[in-house]
Amino acid sequence: MSNKVVEVNGVVGEGVTFERIRRITGYLVGTLDRFNDAKFAEVNDRVKHSISTGAGLMEQI
Amino acid sequence: MITSIVKRDGREVPFSVEKIAKAIYQAAQAMGGKDYDEAYAIAQEVGKYIESNGNTKPTVEQIQDAVEKVLIETGHARTAKVYILYRAERSRVREMNTRLMQTYEDLTFKDAKENDVKRENANIDGDTAMGTMLKYGSEGAKQFNELFILDPKHAEAHRNGDIHIHDMDFLTLTTTCCQIDLLKLFKGGFSTGHGFLREPNDIASYSALACIAIQSNQNDQHGGQSIPNFDYGMAPGVKKTYRKLYVRNMSKALELICDIKDSNEFAKEIYNKIKEENGVYPTISNDNNYEELEKAAMLKKGIKEKDYDRCRAFALERGLEETERATYQAMEALVHNLNTMHSRAGAQIPFSSINYGTDTSPEGRMVIKNVLLATDAGLGNGETPIFPIHIFKVKEGVNYNKEDPNYDLFKLSMKVSAKRLFPNYSFLDAPYNKEYYVEGDPNTEIAYMGCRTRVMANNYDKTKQVVGGRGNLSFTSVNLPRLAIKSHGNLDIFFEQLDSKIDLVISQLLERFEIQCKRKVRNYPFLMGQGIWLDSDKLGIDDEVREVLKHGTLTLGFIGLAETLKCLLGVHHGESQEAQNLGIEIVAHMRNRMDEESKKTGLNFSLIATPAEGLSGRFVRMDRERYGVLEGVTDRPYYTNSFHIPVYFPISAYDKIKLEAPYHELTNGGHISYVEMDGDPSQNLDAFESVIRCMKENGIGYGSVNHPVDRDPVCGYTGIIGDTCPRCGRHDGEGISVEKLKQLKGFNDLRGYDENPLEDGDKVTHI
Ligand SMILES: [Zn+2]
Repeated sequence: MSNKVVEVNGVVGEGVTFERIRRITGYLVGTLDRFNDAKFAEVNDRVKHSISTGAGLMEQI
Repeated sequence: MITSIVKRDGREVPFSVEKIAKAIYQAAQAMGGKDYDEAYAIAQEVGKYIESNGNTKPTVEQIQDAVEKVLIETGHARTAKVYILYRAERSRVREMNTRLMQTYEDLTFKDAKENDVKRENANIDGDTAMGTMLKYGSEGAKQFNELFILDPKHAEAHRNGDIHIHDMDFLTLTTTCCQIDLLKLFKGGFSTGHGFLREPNDIASYSALACIAIQSNQNDQHGGQSIPNFDYGMAPGVKKTYRKLYVRNMSKALELICDIKDSNEFAKEIYNKIKEENGVYPTISNDNNYEELEKAAMLKKGIKEKDYDRCRAFALERGLEETERATYQAMEALVHNLNTMHSRAGAQIPFSSINYGTDTSPEGRMVIKNVLLATDAGLGNGETPIFPIHIFKVKEGVNYNKEDPNYDLFKLSMKVSAKRLFPNYSFLDAPYNKEYYVEGDPNTEIAYMGCRTRVMANNYDKTKQVVGGRGNLSFTSVNLPRLAIKSHGNLDIFFEQLDSKIDLVISQLLERFEIQCKRKVRNYPFLMGQGIWLDSDKLGIDDEVREVLKHGTLTLGFIGLAETLKCLLGVHHGESQEAQNLGIEIVAHMRNRMDEESKKTGLNFSLIATPAEGLSGRFVRMDRERYGVLEGVTDRPYYTNSFHIPVYFPISAYDKIKLEAPYHELTNGGHISYVEMDGDPSQNLDAFESVIRCMKENGIGYGSVNHPVDRDPVCGYTGIIGDTCPRCGRHDGEGISVEKLKQLKGFNDLRGYDENPLEDGDKVTHI
């Protein structure tokens, strides 16, 4: 797929994918399809870390 | 009668007893044999033996089998042994050639989507001509070095996955990375090897030269380049720009208010006179007696006091305004340049990092503010810049607390990071960083390079424990999980094996260091030729770089602490305190071994939490083949990054930070911790700040917050995109009518979306 935006018959964006920028090992990568297989799997496995503000844990500091 | 022999590729060539005799003679020579006639006699025996089997067209393999048999039967067992070894070596070379050709074939005919090698490093575009050429070179060099340069025991350990020698393609060529001291570099100008560049004269040329320095250095080394003092380094450029713009605006005011013809000459003359006689300039902070001197000079020339005051006010206001704008443009250009300029034959954007945040001068603050704003604005179409990596230095008394002079910039940095993923944060107050800090000397402020590399302590020269002009020389990682698998839960065996692998890595690093030492200044025209590397300015062009390289680090790395603990104890360090204790014990052991080695050699051995991009899949793939699928150890396609809590493990940000912090102190060669934040942190900056503060309070050295940054190139929306774009409503890959696009709020046919001034929309190309 190409990310070049061109108008064809009054329509734009056909075949244009969303960019999904992720941090790989400290630096950023513009799209997931540049990741190697292992890193791709790792990125997919990432879970979010809960941040409790207010009276939560982070207030212990 | 033997007529011909069949070679491996199927070709037939005439049979020759001499050739066989020569091969036997060579093997015999290795054992001290000198009797060619005897070798010839044995070769004749070989011929007879083959004939006796009725074989008139033997293959090479059959002849070699016969040679071995005859050698042993005629009592030449030792020569036979050498011959067999020689034969095995030849077949390894042959197999290697085939392997290399197979690699080349894949590089040539498969695109990156099908070929993992092309995606080994996500920032090299393996599909371009130069990207592929780079890969041919790199794969060829790797196999050559493995076969002919490395000590066979290091090559074997690398091949079988006990250790990983990073950047093996560059084994004989150069070192990893360097922290470029801009202040030193710009003093007096420098040469790139393609021409001399004068000391820059305004912020625009400071920024352009910083890019050129990064690019030039990147061509001399295989890793990334970092500027440890970006704000301090750029501030003199802002100063010079301000002087120029102040004078320019003074001249405009003089023309308008005082009717002075040639006001330009008039203003410059006064400026130059004060500069020469008193050595002072107009400054943003107005911290000298320039105003007094200027006023006196002007009054003497007949300017009325009242008029001077008006001119002065105008020059101050406009000079500052225009300097601010020029600084923004320079920072914008820097970000654009670092995302588009190419190095290494055009296939790779330089891996650049810039560290800043602590310069409290008005000029330094202007640099920090504007590099952040330029990053916030994004590239030409609002894309998130991939480079440089920004590292914001957090320091109490400077920017951490409300009353600190750069607190506003710390706040701004978080707003930008919440949108653009950079800056990352380094913590100058972590005890192991603070110990080197000398107030007023930016060269003692910790800096990080790219993914995580850290170079600070200097065991070779304790008077130079600084960041500028130093970097990593090479690093090699050990496969920790394999050691755990092989020790079957026995910790004594585990540590014993770990020690033997550390011994192996030390000897390999030293051997590589010896190769690196023999290089000369001329092999690094910029890095050493221009005096970027510490003390290289004392060397001549044909001198060996041996002594000055000792300022760099030789580094042991590791990955998969989590899998190691899982294998040894059944739980990882996120799951049990016992595992955390053992984890710390293991990493501390590695660190101690590095400290001991530094003491012993006078060099800088350090321990790094390996950034495992290419490696995360390689080790586990090999271990799964060897030991099968082991739950929590080899059952995923990757080993966990260094000492991290596994990415799949649910844990609070606070606990993760607390558990990972002790490893930062131990990994003096580099480290980083991540927190994955849910949702769009731009909407919750307080939560973002609480994470950064939590890192600081717990002794993290370097950390950052991950969150999804998506962008729709069609409508220009940047934020989180699920299945459909929140702004224009299209699905991934789906078309949308221009009509509908135009109806969206904020659409501007020429500029795309501009409802958010910090986020330029996308341009639509009409054909
Ligand atoms: Zn959209």
